[in-house]
Amino acid sequence: MQLRDFFSTDAIALDLTTETKDETLRTLVGLFHLDEKSEGILFKMLKRRENLGSTGIGRGIAIPHCRSLVVNRLRVAFGRHTPGLDFKAIDEKPVHYIFLIVAPPLEVSNQYLPVLGKIAQFSKEPDVPEQLAAVTKPEEFLQLLEMKGV
Amino acid sequence: MHEELETLLEMQDLHMQLRALEEGEVRDLESGLFDMGIEEALETLDQKILELQGRLEPRVQDRYRRLISAGNRAVVPVLGGVCYGCFVAVPTSWAAEADPNDKLNVCQNCGRFHYYPT
Ligand SMILES: [Zn+2]
Repeated sequence: MQLRDFFSTDAIALDLTTETKDETLRTLVGLFHLDEKSEGILFKMLKRRENLGSTGIGRGIAIPHCRSLVVNRLRVAFGRHTPGLDFKAIDEKPVHYIFLIVAPPLEVSNQYLPVLGKIAQFSKEPDVPEQLAAVTKPEEFLQLLEMKGV
Repeated sequence: MHEELETLLEMQDLHMQLRALEEGEVRDLESGLFDMGIEEALETLDQKILELQGRLEPRVQDRYRRLISAGNRAVVPVLGGVCYGCFVAVPTSWAAEADPNDKLNVCQNCGRFHYYPT
């Protein structure tokens, strides 16, 4: 299993200009092109998860995630916010890199936790924030994942 | 989308989250990587579920409770015309509607609520 296989280039947004955490979550959910109701439910679930504790794991990275029946397969998106967002992260620093992961309650191949784990592993590499900052197009983001062997 | 169906979907998502937090792998991940306070989270989820439950008609509440407390899912998707609760084909007259999610459909075979993913 390779992370890059789960990302499509149209679900990678490198120039987010959103102002708040909520607006950012909505924008990233929008990359999945669901209907309006489904987007609303997904956003609400992600918010609920954030209310249980921020998914900002530090070093400018956040990994919002949830399961919901409104998606019929695992979906992932990546967003980069260069100015930085207040995400109530563990280290209280602004968040620049957001990995969004959603999956249905039951998946045949059970990829949700492994994918979440791989993104966490990737995020822990010391030079990753720096490298994510340097990416200029979605393809380079995918190359970075591949280079890191995740 | 039918209002009660939306509530049911939300409730079930929360129930799944609750169940997942009660067991090993997800619990470890959420408390380890994301530093979540598990006990507090379980309580918050419980409260939210009760609040949502209050929005449902008693009949719908009962059906949901019965299904979910048996450890089953109460809302299941219909994919390719098949109920994913019991894997029996759903009569096509329902599936052919403009948006079947506008009605609260119940499986005639297993009694679960139906949701049609986009
Ligand atoms: Zn059924």
